[in-house]
Amino acid sequence: MDETRPTLILDHVSKSFGDFVAVRDLSLQVRRGRIFGLIGPNGAGKTTTIRMIVNITVPDSGRVELFGQPMSTALQDRIGYLPEERGLYKRMKVGEQLRFFAELKDVKGKEADARIDKWLAKLQLTDWKQKKTKDLSKGMQQKVQFITSVIHEPDLLILDEPFSGLDPVNVEVMKDTILEQKAANKTIILSTHQMEIAEKLCDDVCMINRSRKVLDGKLRELRRSESRNAVALRCEGNDGILKDPALVLNVRQVGDDLEVLLAEGVSPQILLKRLVDADTVVTKFELVEPSLHDIFIAKVKETS
Amino acid sequence: MKKFFAVVKREYVQRVRSRFFVVATILGPLLMAGFTIVPALMFGIKSGGPTRLAIIDQTGKLYGRVAKELQGDRSTRDQPPPEKAEEPPGLKNDPRERAKQNGNMIQGSFEVEEAKLNGRSLNEVRSELASRVASKNLDGFIILPPDILNGEQPEFRSRNTADLFTKSKVENSINRALRSQRMLENGIDEKKIEKMSEPITLNAQDAGGKESKGESSFYLVFGLGLLIYMSVLLYGQFVLGAVIEEKETRIAEILFSSMRSFPLMMGKLIGVSLVALTQMGIWAVAFLSLSAWLAGSSFTLPHIAPLVFVYFVLFFLMGYFIYATFYAVVGSMVTTTQEGGQLALPIVLLLVMGFYLSFNVIRSPNSSLAFWASMFPFFAPITMLVRIVTETPPLWQILLSLGIGVVTVVGLMWVAARIYRVGMLMYGKKASIPEVLRWIRQA
Repeated sequence: MDETRPTLILDHVSKSFGDFVAVRDLSLQVRRGRIFGLIGPNGAGKTTTIRMIVNITVPDSGRVELFGQPMSTALQDRIGYLPEERGLYKRMKVGEQLRFFAELKDVKGKEADARIDKWLAKLQLTDWKQKKTKDLSKGMQQKVQFITSVIHEPDLLILDEPFSGLDPVNVEVMKDTILEQKAANKTIILSTHQMEIAEKLCDDVCMINRSRKVLDGKLRELRRSESRNAVALRCEGNDGILKDPALVLNVRQVGDDLEVLLAEGVSPQILLKRLVDADTVVTKFELVEPSLHDIFIAKVKETS
Repeated sequence: MKKFFAVVKREYVQRVRSRFFVVATILGPLLMAGFTIVPALMFGIKSGGPTRLAIIDQTGKLYGRVAKELQGDRSTRDQPPPEKAEEPPGLKNDPRERAKQNGNMIQGSFEVEEAKLNGRSLNEVRSELASRVASKNLDGFIILPPDILNGEQPEFRSRNTADLFTKSKVENSINRALRSQRMLENGIDEKKIEKMSEPITLNAQDAGGKESKGESSFYLVFGLGLLIYMSVLLYGQFVLGAVIEEKETRIAEILFSSMRSFPLMMGKLIGVSLVALTQMGIWAVAFLSLSAWLAGSSFTLPHIAPLVFVYFVLFFLMGYFIYATFYAVVGSMVTTTQEGGQLALPIVLLLVMGFYLSFNVIRSPNSSLAFWASMFPFFAPITMLVRIVTETPPLWQILLSLGIGVVTVVGLMWVAARIYRVGMLMYGKKASIPEVLRWIRQA
C-alpha cells in the first residue's frame, strides 16, 4: 500500500434518514499512524459518520475508501470499533465473550487465547476471566469492550467516547494504551466531547455540527490560525502601558495571569519591548493559543 | 461463513450449557405427560364416596330393576383403583378391562335405597327426602310416578345438578329398566330380555383388520401435536429474547460492524434450532430406551413408527423456522421485552389456532377442513403431523405441505432480513408498520 496515501478517505459523503439529513457532503482524510479527533455536539452526525466508516450503513451518495480500496465487508476485519453504547452479553463469561468476538474478526484458536490473556493481564482483568460479564463493574466492562475492539490487531481503530465511565486511574491506562497503538503505526479515530482529552491526544481534528463539517486540519495549525493575538502576562508595575488603546484592546484577569488582547497590527514583540523599555518586571509572557474548547464553542455559535 | 458458524456455536453452546436447558430437558416429558393425562383424569375421577340415592317407586314394579342398573354388575365395582398417574389409563393392554374401569371411574358407584310411602302422602316423603339431601346424608332422590310406563315423567332431585355423569347414568338406568319392564308386560320372558339386552364392547379395528391403536393412539397424537406446539412456542420465544437482548444492549452494533446481517440472523435461528433438536434427540433416545426396557412387562409405551420421528423433525423445523423468523422480526422492531411480548401476540394466536384445529383434525383426519388446515403453512406443522399419525394421507399431500412450508420460510426470511437489518440499528422507539413496509421496499 502506498505509505503516503491516507488510510481513510470520505469523499462528499451524504446520508439521510427520511427527511432528516444526518450527514451532508462530508469529506475528510485520515492519515496513517495518527490520532484523528472527530468532534461535535450530540446529534451532529458523528455516529452516522462512524457507522459509514465501519460499513454498518452505506452512504446515499459519495465514496468511502479504506486502505486504498472501496469500502467492503472484507475490510471490516481490519477495523476495530468501540461503539459509544457499549454492548456485551451479560450472561457470558469474560473469556468466552472475548473468544466469540475474536472469532467474529477471524482470530481463532491458540492465537486468540494468547491475545486474550495478554490483554486481560495488561488491563488488570486476569482474575475476572472466568466471571460472568454482569458481575463486573461498569469500568471493567468498558475495558473488556475495549479489548474486543483491539483483539484482532486492527489497522484502523475507531473509539467512540472511550473514556466515559472510567475513573481517573483507568483514564490514564486507556490513554497510554491508545498512544501505544499509535506508536505501533495504527490509525485511530477518536470521537469525543471531552475537549481536554482530545486536545492532548489528537494530531488532527474534524469538527462536525448540524451534519456538516465546520473545520478540519492539524490541531496545531488550527490553534494557530484561530489565535486571537492574545498574550498571557504576569508583571509588576506600569499598568499604564496596558491601558493604551493603540496597543491593547482588552485586559482580563485569568487566574494569576492577565490575558491581554492586542490591538490589530500590534505584535506581541511590540508589547514586550514597551514593557521592557519601561523597566517592568515581567515574570511571565506567553502567547495564548485558543483551546479546542474555545474554538469548538466559537464555531458552533457561528454555524448555529 | 466462518463468522456464521461462530454465531451458531455461541448460540448453541451458551444455551445447551444453561441450567434452564438441563431442567427443561428433564422436566419436559413429565410436564407433557401431565398436560396430556391430568385433564383426562381430573375430568373422569369422581371424588368422594358413592352417590347415595333414594327411589320412590309409585308403580311398585320398577325399583329392583332401576337399582340393579344403577349399581351395575357387582364384580366390576370391587376392582382395585386405576393405575398410578404416570400411566395413562389408555395404555393398559386389554381394552375391555379398560373400558369397564373407565366407566366405573367416570360414573362412580351408587348406593340405592327404596323410600316407601307407607300410607304417607308423596309430598310428605318428598320433603323428608329433601331435608335429608340438605343435611347431606343423601345425594339425591328419584320419583317414579305411577303412570311412568305410559310416558309420565319421572322426577330427579339432586344436590349437584351440574353433575352430568350422575344425571346421564340415572337417565340410562331408568330407560333400561322401563324397556325391560315394557317387554315383560308384552309377554317376553325374563331370560330372553336379559339375553337381548346383553351389551357389547366395541372393539375398533382399522380397515385392514389390525387391532386399532385406539386410545393409546389418541394420546400419542395429542401428545405429538402438543409437543410441536410447545416447542415452537418455547424456542420461538428464545429467538425473540436473543434478538431483543442484542438490540437492547447494542451488541448488534458490534456484530454488524463485523458481519452481514443475514448470516447473523440465520446463525441465531439455526443455533437455537440445534438446541431444540438436541433436546428432542435426548427425549427420543430416552423414550426408545424406556420402551426397550419395558418390553415384555405389562406396561408398554405406544409404538411409534420410525417414519413418524422423521416427519416430526421435518414438521417441527418447518413450524420453528416460520414462527422463529416472525419472532426475530418482532425482536428487531421493538425496544423492550414487554413490547416484544405484545407485538408477538398475534403470532402466538396463530399458533394456538393451529393447535385447536388439530382436535378437529384428529376426529376427522380426511375432511376437507383437515386437508386445508394441513396445507396452510402456519397450521400445517401441527395439523399435518396429526393427520400423519391418525390416518396417513397420500404422500403427495405430505410433500405438498412441506413444499408450501419451505416456500413460506424462504419468503419470510427474505422479508425478515430486510426488516432486521434496519430495525436492529434503530433505537429509542418501536418501529411502526408503515416504517417497516418502507424498509422492505427500500432494502
